[in-house]
This record gives sequence, C-alpha cells and structure tokens, in this order.
Amino acid sequence: MSLFGDILAHRELLQNLVARDIKSRYKGSALGFLWSVLNPLFMAVIYIFFLRLLAGRGVPSEDVIIGVFAWQFTAQCVTGGMNCITGNANLVKKVFFPRVLLPLSVVAANLVNFLLTLAVQLVLVALLLGARGAHLSAWSAALPAIIAYHVLFNLSLALLVAAANVYFRDTQHLVGLLMSAWFFVSPVMYNLSFVEKFAGPALTPAYLLNPAALIITAYRAAQVPGALLPWSGAALVAWLWPAALLVLAWRLFQRAQRDFADWL
Amino acid sequence: MSAIEAIQLGKAYRKQGIGPPTLFGALSRTLRGRRNEEFWALRDVSFAVEKGRTVGVVGPNGSGKSSLLGLVSGTITPTRGAARTEGRVSSLLELGAGFHPDLSGRENVFLNAALLGIPREDVRRRYDHIVAFAGLAEFMDMPVKHYSSGMYVRLGFAVATELNPDVLLVDEVLAVGDIAFQLKCLDRIRDFQRRGKTLLLVSHALQTVEEFCHEAFLLYRGELVARGDPPDVILKYMTSFMGEGGYLYRQEFGTRDVEFTQVALRGPDGAESASFQTGRALRVDIGYRAKARIENPVFGFSIKTGNGLYVFGSNTQIAKHPVPFIEGEGVMRLTLDPLTLKGGNFFLSLSIHSADHATQYHRREDWYPFVVKDPTEAPGLFELHSSWRLGAV
Repeated sequence: MSLFGDILAHRELLQNLVARDIKSRYKGSALGFLWSVLNPLFMAVIYIFFLRLLAGRGVPSEDVIIGVFAWQFTAQCVTGGMNCITGNANLVKKVFFPRVLLPLSVVAANLVNFLLTLAVQLVLVALLLGARGAHLSAWSAALPAIIAYHVLFNLSLALLVAAANVYFRDTQHLVGLLMSAWFFVSPVMYNLSFVEKFAGPALTPAYLLNPAALIITAYRAAQVPGALLPWSGAALVAWLWPAALLVLAWRLFQRAQRDFADWL
Repeated sequence: MSAIEAIQLGKAYRKQGIGPPTLFGALSRTLRGRRNEEFWALRDVSFAVEKGRTVGVVGPNGSGKSSLLGLVSGTITPTRGAARTEGRVSSLLELGAGFHPDLSGRENVFLNAALLGIPREDVRRRYDHIVAFAGLAEFMDMPVKHYSSGMYVRLGFAVATELNPDVLLVDEVLAVGDIAFQLKCLDRIRDFQRRGKTLLLVSHALQTVEEFCHEAFLLYRGELVARGDPPDVILKYMTSFMGEGGYLYRQEFGTRDVEFTQVALRGPDGAESASFQTGRALRVDIGYRAKARIENPVFGFSIKTGNGLYVFGSNTQIAKHPVPFIEGEGVMRLTLDPLTLKGGNFFLSLSIHSADHATQYHRREDWYPFVVKDPTEAPGLFELHSSWRLGAV
C-alpha cells in the first residue's frame, strides 16, 4: 500500500492519534502551548546574545528566530519519531494497524504545533522588520510549499529513526549526538552569508546539500526581504535528493515493521 | 467459508533476539559470522475455523498459544505460511492496550475504537452502551491514569466487544474484574456465540474451554498435537503434558507400608479408559501390595473438578464396608454406578490409611484425570435425582 493510501484509509485513526499527541503534550502544564513558543524564543535570545558576544558580529535577529523555530520542528519530529514505536510497544504488540501511522501521527502533531508557533513567529519577524522600516517579503506566500517540503523531509527522518530504534536502542544516544552536531553545521543560529565568508561562493551551494540548511534558508528567503536562496545546479540536487530519502525511508520502514512485535 | 484459516503457519524467533538489541551486539555477531540460533515458537500449524464456531486453545506455558493469537490478529508476521481471517477482527489480547493515561475515558474510547478500525460514527452511536456496560458513567471525563486496574480493563473489554467484531480473539482475559463483571463478560461471550460470531480463545482455565468451546486445540512446543472435542483434548493435555504448565498440583506421599500397584479406570464394558459417560458405570480397580499384615485399613477416594473444586469423597469406613486386614497383593474395586457426574474433566485421588486416620500408608492426590461426557449436554456438575408431581394446594 502506498503512503497516501495508508493515510487515506486510516485518516480517522490518524486524527485520533494526532489528537492524543497534542492533548497529552499540554495536559498538566500551566503554560501549555505557550511553552512551544517560549522555548525556541528563549533559545533564539540566547543565541543572538552569545553570537554577538563571541563572534563579535551579529546575525540579524529575525534570521535566528526563523532558524530556531524551523529547527525545532525537525528536532521534535526526530525525537518523537524515535520513541513512537518503542514507546507504544504495548500497542504495537497487541493491536494490528498500519505501524506507519505512528511516525505519521508524530509528524502531523508536530506540524500542528509548528503551524501555531509559526503564526507567532511571523508576527515577531514582522515586528522586527517593521522596527527597521521593512515588511515581510511577498515571498511569504510560498511558505506553504516550504512547509510541505519540510514535513516530508521530517517524515523521512522520523521513519528512519523510528525503525532503527526498535532494532538498536543505541539509536537514541547516537541520534542525540548527531542532532547536536547537525545543529551546529546547519545555519540555525547563523545564516548563509555567515557561511559564505568561510566557504566562499563556490562551496556555498554544496553547503545547501544539507536539507536543514536548504529548508531554513528557504524560510528566511520567504520572509526577510533581501535574503536570497541561491539557485544553481547543486541547489537543484539539494532540492531533489530528499525525495529519494523519503522513498528509501518508507521502504525501510515497511520492511522493518513486519518484525517490530518480535523486537519490542 | 472459514472465518479463520492458518496454512502451515510457523514463527521463529532468534535466540539472540532475547534481551535488548544493541548495535554493538549485531556488529560483533556479523563480524564473527555466527548465525543466530532459531527457536520455533510455532511450527507448521494448519487449521480452519468455520464461521460461528468457538475454538479454545490449550497447552502448557510456552507452547505457542499467544504467538498463535498474535499471528491471527496480524500483530506478528509469520516466518512461514500464512494466517487469514474473514471480517472484522477484534482482540481481547490486552485490554486497554491503546489507552493513553493522560486522556479521559471518553477520549480513550474513541482512540481505542479507531485503533480497532471502527468508524467514528459507529462509536458515537454505541457510546452510551459502552459506558453502561463498563459501568463507568460518572468517570468518563476522568483521565484513565486515575482509574483502578479493574475500571481500566472493564472499559477496554466494553470497547472491544461492544463494537460488533466478526472474529473475536481472547487471551486469558475472562478472569478480569470482580465476579459481577466476570459474569457479564461470560454473558457477552455467549451472546457472541448466539449471534454466530467466531471466537478463538486461549485459556488455562480448562473448565472455561470445556464450557464454551465447540472444539479445542492442544498446542505443545509450537505444534498442534491434538484437536477435537474439548473434553478429549483436555484429557490428552492433562495426561500427556501435565505438570509442565504447572497446571496440576499432583502429589504422592505416605509410609508405603501398603502401596498402590496397578490402578485401572474401567468403563461398563470392563475396558480400561479415561473417558466415561453420565448415567453409566465407572469402575476403579485399585491394585495394592502390603509389606506386612495391616489391620483395619481404610481405602478412600475423592473427586475434584479440573478447577480444583472438591466434588465428592468417601472411604470404606464411611461406606460401612470395613476391611478387617490386608496382606500381600490384592485388588480393591471401587464402583460408581450410575456415574452422576455431568460432562467435564475431573481428577480422582486415592488413599489407603489407618482406621484412626493417623497413618497415611499411601496417598495419591489428583493423580488420575478422567473425562465425563454427558450425552444430554445439559449444563451442570451433577445429576441430582429429581422428580416432579403436580398436586392440589
């Protein structure tokens, strides 16, 4: 069965799982959804402050804010995806339903969360730009396309780590390590012009082969006037290769899920 | 059309797979080129269950019963062969498996139903029934983490059974909740049977299997070693694999001044058997050997059900059939005629002791299993001699 066939056939279950995820996330916490906004916001403030202090040169605050919010979405999908099978061992062992719904629901629940935080983020960025007399770029209209791309990329990661963690519990430690490394090589708290200074114009397109770099840069290009998304042959490859990743992740997951119940 | 079908079903587990898998472990095994040793939880099992039948699966622990249910429900992928089901399958494998502790009872009903593949509209329509059956009306808005374990299981059972599955898989869950709820559960199971649903049920409560099932499967070490009439299959289970599942607590003790030798249970035709009929004779030939002359020995027997319920016991003293002495070898014959036990599985215990009960010479508890078949198939444990007479007030 195809990915979309599965979603369509089980959309009610998916809705239920997403609702479960979102409800349980905020139950029992006084600030609830506010944490989803406060968290990246505090991180952004910390990065802006220390980058000024250490590097001596600033990265525009709106760039950092956009970067941190987008990164949070990916990071949450990876963490959630990692535990979505192992954390539901009871369910997987006892009830039959397409297992792919678990990582799907993690990504979907995080998407809902991301869209809500994104609304706050857009207001913040608009305010910061307004303080300089600028406006949100008209390219903001392209945000849905970027989000869609971002979602599919996050889904491939969630599928991969979900399956891997069932077979090797080392995954969670390894992924924690890789995520911090990935955070630093991705332009979350800095931006592409920062990279250009080190890499030079020739290597910058290659830098975008990192999908996180590509996606975050695209978010910035869509919101901040003057922030550009380089177009080149390498950039085209950068846009296309995550599609292959999704197909691969999907296949691997479908293959692995047959034996999930044996390994949990 | 059969509702459940298994074709040469097999499931192998890797022995190394026991314990948490690690990347290092996998790498080192690959490098050393060691093949994982396989353990077959289920091997070459083929059967078909017709629609509307109830089949009980019995066998000692580790015989593959739960694996079989997992394979039929689809949660486990077979290594060999295939399992096929017809219609909507609901499993009572673990009640409330899909419950999320932070969500309310109501939210969990919808979530759990969705997991079982039931359209939301159906759930909405039956919601009140579910709540009423679980008896949790005032707790539906409470997070289930505050539920007692009984409440938890009741809600799980209500969801899984209220939603009208075609095939119901049951694993050892009928013994949940308090007595009142257990009776409700059994009622519901009977209701399923009346409505022509197919049930596959795993249980160590042999009496339940006997009472509810049209047919029983005996699994042993992953193989389907016997199938057929529940009392026969259960008898085979008890005689062949007794003790292994820890099911039977049989014991033997005594001074052995007198010992049992050959003991034979015989039917009315005198042939040795383990299967008897209500209303006909059961004879027990109790061979003994006395090491010395024993004065005034007492021969006794008792009968328990498969569940350990003490049904009846007597001895030569009570029956006013004193035995002055025994010496050397001999045979004592016990006759139950007519046998008034109704259909089921029973255990016979035998004893030889002194007249004052102070010395047990030889005692065998729950030693001889036998099955009784009642041609009338009327429920009950005993045939009581009853008569009716219509008269004026």
